[in-house]
Amino acid sequence: MGFEVLLKGSNMLRLLEGLSTALNISLISVAISLVLGIILGILMAMHNRVVLFFSKIYLEIVRIMPQMVLLFIVYFGSTKVIGINLSAETASIIVFSFWGAAEMSDLVRGALKSIPTIQYESSAALSLSSFMTYRYIIMPQVVRMLIPLSINLITRMIKTTSLVMMIGIVEVLKVGQQIIEANRTASPNAAFWVFLVIFLLYFAACWPISLLSRFLEKKWKV
Amino acid sequence: MKKNLIKNIKAKKIITGALALVLGASMLGACGKSDAANGENGAQKLKANGKVYRTLDEIKKSGTINIGVFSDKNPFGYVDENGDYQGYDVYLANRIGKDLGVEINYVSTEAANRVEYLESGKVDIVLANFTVTDERAQKVDFALPYMNVALGVVSHKDKVIKDIEKVSSDEQVIVISGTTAETFLEKNYPDIKLQKFDTYAAAKTSFENGTGIAWANDNTEVIAFAKENEGYEVGIPSLGSQDTIAPAVSKGNESLLKWLNDELVTLGKEKFFHADYEKTLIDTYGADYEDTLVVEQGDNK
Amino acid sequence: MDFNVVISYIPTYVDAFLLTVKIGWIGIAFSLVIGILSAFIMHFKIPVLSQIVAVYIELFRNTPLLVQLFFIYFGLPKIGIVISAGTCGAVGLGLLGGSYMAEVFRSGLEGVSISQTESSLALGFSKTQMFIYVILPQAFSKSVPGIVANVIFLLKETSVFSAISLMDLMFRAKDLIGLYYNTTEALFLLVIFYVIMLLPVSFLGSVIEKKVVSING
Repeated sequence: MGFEVLLKGSNMLRLLEGLSTALNISLISVAISLVLGIILGILMAMHNRVVLFFSKIYLEIVRIMPQMVLLFIVYFGSTKVIGINLSAETASIIVFSFWGAAEMSDLVRGALKSIPTIQYESSAALSLSSFMTYRYIIMPQVVRMLIPLSINLITRMIKTTSLVMMIGIVEVLKVGQQIIEANRTASPNAAFWVFLVIFLLYFAACWPISLLSRFLEKKWKV
Repeated sequence: MKKNLIKNIKAKKIITGALALVLGASMLGACGKSDAANGENGAQKLKANGKVYRTLDEIKKSGTINIGVFSDKNPFGYVDENGDYQGYDVYLANRIGKDLGVEINYVSTEAANRVEYLESGKVDIVLANFTVTDERAQKVDFALPYMNVALGVVSHKDKVIKDIEKVSSDEQVIVISGTTAETFLEKNYPDIKLQKFDTYAAAKTSFENGTGIAWANDNTEVIAFAKENEGYEVGIPSLGSQDTIAPAVSKGNESLLKWLNDELVTLGKEKFFHADYEKTLIDTYGADYEDTLVVEQGDNK
Repeated sequence: MDFNVVISYIPTYVDAFLLTVKIGWIGIAFSLVIGILSAFIMHFKIPVLSQIVAVYIELFRNTPLLVQLFFIYFGLPKIGIVISAGTCGAVGLGLLGGSYMAEVFRSGLEGVSISQTESSLALGFSKTQMFIYVILPQAFSKSVPGIVANVIFLLKETSVFSAISLMDLMFRAKDLIGLYYNTTEALFLLVIFYVIMLLPVSFLGSVIEKKVVSING
């Protein structure tokens, strides 16, 4: 049939290793994106003209440029133009963090904006210091709004990392192709099963995270 | 807190700036380049940016060599079910690693990436069935050859293509992006519709699935495909010129190139590539192709 | 960068651009149809169908387009389903987009408050009339920001078409790099053409969004 190739040697294990390569890249990128995104989001909410101008350009670049294009520019362009040789992994982490930080900052800005002014005013009326206002009034609400959204960002990041195959990282899709190729004669129908399993592997990685994000969103809905 | 903020803005700006730089510099590059109208070759860029490659000594010192091979091109470069690289090219690569006394880090390449990987120093040597052409030789340095090759076209048995001119305008021929077959057909038969893939695995699967009427590639490769799989026939066993396949290094990496050439001559004396053939290719091709395919340095001079 | 090279590449990029735009928008049209149908099925809780739709949405929202395309294009022919690369691209994009659009429309439908249905029933509207004249227009306008975001997302996703041999912009760039090794020029044009493709959509999107937001109040 073709399914048996997956049980041959360490093939299944190799697919899982390939998936974990992709997951590693996405988790590192998410971590960087969260930190940079939160900082940038707070800055954007401060209404500084210069910050707003540059962040607007930055967000627009991310909004219209496919991650794949950015990957190629950073990976192949960096050596050619500025003479820095990046490994494929570094290049993808740079690109995905560049993208993720923009998404995250937009979420943070949106969450901060959604807190009505009256809350700030009433806190001031209660003579809370601005630190206390943020610490006890604003942040708890913002964090509740942000956690489900940032978890959701993780699934999007994981899905995006499937692209790294295109710059030569041996992740799950590439391992799949290698398995198909090594067994072409013995199992000509391997492609169906290999790609089906990869499809399901990605699903298994992302679905629980999506569910968690939705659960928290519902639970904390005001 | 505030200091941290500032630091991170800086980091942000650096990343953003880097991208802007990439774009900006490419525009600037345009102005600087316009006076050197025909100096398109990579060597100049390398000089301007400093060398990207590692010399023989640097490789030895680091203890590992990065070798670019195919990971989906059975029987030349592929990965077996235990995750180990195998094939005719890999057999040579293993020997090179052993003789240099260093570990090998295999880097999986695609056809279209091979020049790029050398030009950006991502690998030290490409051993990925790399056909020597003038165009490529402007960008990379080839060592002595270790295999003969021409182009070939394989098609489905029920509709064998014997003449490339007879491909009609509504039929598609499969090629792999960045191969000599692609360049040859683009140049000489611009009317033939090509269906292009990045990887060998994708091209072969697609050919099996019947999306193209024929697949043009190195004849070694298409012969192997027809021999290993039922229902295919190599209608055109040789197309274009006879070429050779050789290891390649980054342009200007003379120390490594010289070492490789000496190594290939030594290997030729011990008939290394015949042994390689018998180890990796004989199951596919049988003994008939051994002398036409294999090139040994030293014995034919 | 050599501008003569850039200029000589432009015609092939225009071809690739047109193909990308064509398949991208066909896919988006598919995704709107699939999305609306799925949202209705979910909203009216049609038995069996709504379970199927729920599974479909979860499957396609939680897997990457590249993996979906590999399965459809390379996997399905092994069990006898052969589709051309162009169809595969449009169908894949449509299926992926459909699952996103469905969510957008569904939350649009859910966003119309119950008081609206109650008041329209009190005004003597039939259920069908109420749905067509009261709920749909509001649900649609509530969905607009989501639709715009998804359209941009889907147009960007077209960049993975290159993996199934569609000669899109990304493929053109990769191919030219592989053929002639003019990396800088090929990447430069790639960026330019994506800007041409997406900047107007992004701009128009924000304008429409602002209008709708002001209507929604």
